[in-house]
Amino acid sequence: MATLLRPVLRRLCGLPGLQRPAAEMPLRARSDGAGPLYSHHLPTSPLQKGLLAAGSAAMALYNPYRHDMVAVLGETTGHRTLKVLRDQMRRDPEGAQILQERPRISTSTLDLGKLQSLPEGSLGREYLRFLDVNGHCFPYDTRAPTRFVDDEELAYVIQRYREVHDMLHTLLGMPTNILGEIVVKWFEAVQTGLPMCILGAFFGPIRLGAQSLQVLVSELIPWAVQNGRRAPCVLNLYYERRWEQSLRALREELGITAPPMHVQGLA
Amino acid sequence: MAAPGSCALWSYCGRGWSRAMRGCQLLGLRSSWPGDLLSARLLSQEKRAAETHFGFETVSEEEKGGKGSSDSPAPTTRVAGITVYQVFESVAKKYDVMNDMMSLGIHRVWKDLLLWKMHPLPGTQLLDVAGGTGDIAFRFLNYVQSQHQRKQKRQLRAQQNLSWEEIAKEYQNEEDSLGGSRVVVCDINKEMLKVGKQKALAQGYRAGLAWVLGDAEELPFDDDKFDIYTIAFGIRNVTHIDQALQEAHRVLKPGGRFLCLEFSQVNNPLISRLYDLYSFQVIPVLGEVIAGDWKSYQYLVESIRRFPSQEEFKDMIEDAGFHKVTYESLTSGIVAIHSGFKL
Repeated sequence: MATLLRPVLRRLCGLPGLQRPAAEMPLRARSDGAGPLYSHHLPTSPLQKGLLAAGSAAMALYNPYRHDMVAVLGETTGHRTLKVLRDQMRRDPEGAQILQERPRISTSTLDLGKLQSLPEGSLGREYLRFLDVNGHCFPYDTRAPTRFVDDEELAYVIQRYREVHDMLHTLLGMPTNILGEIVVKWFEAVQTGLPMCILGAFFGPIRLGAQSLQVLVSELIPWAVQNGRRAPCVLNLYYERRWEQSLRALREELGITAPPMHVQGLA
Repeated sequence: MAAPGSCALWSYCGRGWSRAMRGCQLLGLRSSWPGDLLSARLLSQEKRAAETHFGFETVSEEEKGGKGSSDSPAPTTRVAGITVYQVFESVAKKYDVMNDMMSLGIHRVWKDLLLWKMHPLPGTQLLDVAGGTGDIAFRFLNYVQSQHQRKQKRQLRAQQNLSWEEIAKEYQNEEDSLGGSRVVVCDINKEMLKVGKQKALAQGYRAGLAWVLGDAEELPFDDDKFDIYTIAFGIRNVTHIDQALQEAHRVLKPGGRFLCLEFSQVNNPLISRLYDLYSFQVIPVLGEVIAGDWKSYQYLVESIRRFPSQEEFKDMIEDAGFHKVTYESLTSGIVAIHSGFKL
């Protein structure tokens, strides 16, 4: 009899497993009390951020092809620095415009045909050439969106930083091999002060051979640091409006000199 | 991992998740999503879709388990999400590594204990449901193989005065090294089965193993076919657990045994708090760092919390018609093995 009544009783009480009182159910980690602040946002507790930072740093060193780990490291360690960057962007007129209009660099926003038609030596044309030569992963949308930054505007700032990274390669004339990436990281570390850039700048060279290391330390790093200090913040440049500007003129404007030597890869 | 390979995998995961999340958000109850979209969607349905749980999000039943596939048309027009399927699609390749990391290798002990409890006799027909990467199946094959070898040795020892040639011939004539035992691995997810087949090839399992694509709620087998039905860490992902239990009852022979290894409720309050802390703080981080997938592992820990307790699950098994249902909690109740018989 009991076995016959049991299913009836259960149906009266609702599905099993869903009747747990609310107090018993642990909530998702929500240290700031709020839910997701922007699409793809994952609220994380300080402990989780710490674990993520440590884990992503270790994984990025272990497997340098895990670019997503570098991104996670940047997001979890950069909160304070991003605030400084954001404030500094607000003070600059072009930077403030960027913050307001929130331009994005992706296949949907870039008109590749138009860039192709621009004259040689212009920023747009050179950027396109850089992408072709270095066989970049098209489409850009594979750059993972920001997830672990707990402020919507700062999330945009770091996203902008990532999307501008390729521009920096073009500006500095550095290819996307390990050496080129390290040089750009040094430049970015000086410019932005992001902990991830600083860590990358110091730990990146671990995997280099002795000869590359020597060239790096004696010539490329001093050049990158000098240019980084001299140039105004590169995040303040509205690149989307400067496609027609000649690359040389832009470099002059920013005070970026030619690299001390030709790093193999980019013409 | 080569750069193009990881780039492709990452973009695939990213795309898969953004599609799943879009699908989830259309019908999900996230507070940030405009409420009017949600209510319009609900009203447009003729009968209210029954709700089930997906971790801590409540989604419609079609969304949780609906089997979409990557060759269907534009994602924006598709309504039913593929959420659980896509979770396992994206975690398949790293599944075993993640299991080791998350449970610190203890999951191997749990599975060994399941086999020990099973104590299969020679000639057992085993059905391992949701057995994707084959852990239970391989352990079963190892067990019956060594069992058969021991039996063979015993037999030979019992026979007196055999010449060396005769003994050698006995071993050579051995056609079936498993003593008639067979295992069928059934899983709803192609990727998991693919990984399982690759493992079988790599570890040298050939005989007595079959891989079938099938749904636990609607098994592609006849009635009264198997001696033992196991489901290890799979039943909490099924949309209708009672249907899966009924199917289990159907395909088992009379006298057959149902065994389920699943996460359960911890009975010790201190360990429960530590376990919660570990689950919610550490596991998604591990998922992100090792597999590049936060959301799937968040789903994992939430689905564990939602699963019925040992007693409730025991009742559900009894409802499906099993007798002599017992359970054994392992590691303070983090997992439990439920057992029932079809009489």
